[in-house]
Amino acid sequence: MAEDLEDLYENAPCGYASLGPDGRIVKSNLTLSQWTGFSQEALLGKRLRELVNTSGAIFYETHFAPLLRMQGFFNEVALDLVTIDGATLPVLVSAAERRDAYGDLLFTRVTIFQAAERRRYERELVEAKREAERGLAAERTASELREQFVAILGHDLRNPLAAIDAGINLLQRRGFDDRAPDLLAHMRRSGSRMQELINNVLDLTRSRLGGGIPLKKEECSITPVMAQVIEELRIAHPESEFAVNLNATEPVDCDQGRIGQLLSNLLGNALHHGAKNRPIRVVAVTEEGRFTLSVANEGDPIRPEIMERLFLPFYRGEARSSAEGLGLGLYIASEIARAHDGELSVTSDQSGTVFTFTMPTARTAAPDGVG
Amino acid sequence: MSIIARNNVTIAGSGLRTMIFAHGFGCDQNMWRFVEPEFREDFRTVLFDHVGAGKSDLSAYDPAKYGALQGYADDVVAIGEKLGLRGAVFVGHSVSAMIGVLAAIEAPEMFESLVLIGPSPRYIDDGDYKGGFTVAQIEELLASLDDNHLGWSAAMAPVIMGNPNQPELGEELTNSFCRTDPEIAKQFARVTFMSDNRHDLGKVNARVLILQCKEDIIASEAVGAYVQKHIPDSQTVILDATGHCPNLSAPAEVIAAIRRFV
Repeated sequence: MAEDLEDLYENAPCGYASLGPDGRIVKSNLTLSQWTGFSQEALLGKRLRELVNTSGAIFYETHFAPLLRMQGFFNEVALDLVTIDGATLPVLVSAAERRDAYGDLLFTRVTIFQAAERRRYERELVEAKREAERGLAAERTASELREQFVAILGHDLRNPLAAIDAGINLLQRRGFDDRAPDLLAHMRRSGSRMQELINNVLDLTRSRLGGGIPLKKEECSITPVMAQVIEELRIAHPESEFAVNLNATEPVDCDQGRIGQLLSNLLGNALHHGAKNRPIRVVAVTEEGRFTLSVANEGDPIRPEIMERLFLPFYRGEARSSAEGLGLGLYIASEIARAHDGELSVTSDQSGTVFTFTMPTARTAAPDGVG
Repeated sequence: MSIIARNNVTIAGSGLRTMIFAHGFGCDQNMWRFVEPEFREDFRTVLFDHVGAGKSDLSAYDPAKYGALQGYADDVVAIGEKLGLRGAVFVGHSVSAMIGVLAAIEAPEMFESLVLIGPSPRYIDDGDYKGGFTVAQIEELLASLDDNHLGWSAAMAPVIMGNPNQPELGEELTNSFCRTDPEIAKQFARVTFMSDNRHDLGKVNARVLILQCKEDIIASEAVGAYVQKHIPDSQTVILDATGHCPNLSAPAEVIAAIRRFV
């Protein structure tokens, strides 16, 4: 049996529509009617854009109609047909102009293919690409962090380790003589220093990758832990003067250890950057439902460009001596503040630098203690 | 990079006065291929691509600057300053009609006349004002830009790659027009369809010709009439052309109307 061209047109496995020079349908096939639900008579006189959704119509008018006019065709344009029931039918549309010998437009012939499967597949590809990009971004962050760790471990743990190593050498050479206890105390301090560095790095990991510094909050009197931290630092820095006014009388719902750590970090910063021989002032109060702790030191003001990055990890305002630490102290202090629904702020001018931590004394609406 | 290279500015023609053409959303200066050459005898003609479109420098795309039509208008003024334009004719299609309005307000001495083809000061309906689209429809458009790359990049790609069956269509031709970065196209769509410049119309001192197509779903006749009503020295020519791009579908009509006006 010979192929019936009329039937091929009407029942082709694709939709056909021919547009007159004015862009209106002058002929279409049965397949298109079956897909859209509009009879062939109903389609006569319609424009292509009337058969697609609004965004498709805007694409068509702003992108595909100009392309068609400029190059005489367009291929594989993704559009959504809207059927007579209002359902959406994803299709791919190709079109070609047919012009006469004088270049005048006779028809624009349009071929329409169903593309639901392909569209789904392509959307999955797009989604998979986004997923991969998200994964890559997270991986980059983690990788940067790892690199920072390596730098820290290589740089900051080396000095105390070298001190311990030197101590062991001395002990081996000299045996346990009367200078040994001092030497061991010195080595122990180096060990503590390393322990502190490792704890800081772990805190950083938790705050960066684990959604905040973990807290063990309970309602408590906050003064003893602060007094203890200050006492420890007095012993470690007998040359420094501390002016202390601890007047936090109300109980505070907090993680005591962390508040102690915050104060220790602020004091460490003040000891290092403040003017020598000038007192460091510590004031703590509870009033009107808030606990406020401030640490003030005298000395040169913090420069504005340093101020901006002060609470970022691994930032050190100045070239530093090897004993200074990781540049994590203020970052961790601010993370502890954040975990307590509080905030840590700083002001700095000629009269000195003041770090102020403030937080609600009672548990706030947010039930999680992680922040 | 010079602004000439940044905006892919091309200059032709030999007239004393300058006519500068600004393309709309969705294409580039190729939009003017049937219109601009007709004015070369009487005008110095200037074509350019908005940053983000065509052969503009995509690296110059600054989302903050181009987060409002004013950013594009600033570019038009900067090009005008570079070329020393005074008393020029600005021809703007689609969203570039409003970009021209903003540029003419910013630099009144630069543009003596504006030709606005398919202008709309606001695409979204607002009370009695009928922009032609509901908020929901524009949101659908913008959402489809977000989650359906296909209508923009992937679907454009086969076209951009050229048609092996029609080698007479040079590689350069198929590669250059309507080339668009999908991310930038998204933002341009947002800026275009969320824009509201109704209050700027009254500030225009230039002579204005509005070219209005029939059956333009993007900028209806009612919107064209609104523009004419609110720009003091303005007149409208209704074209027989239909659709949103008469500069391509009916260039002769567009050329004739501009000639009569200038």
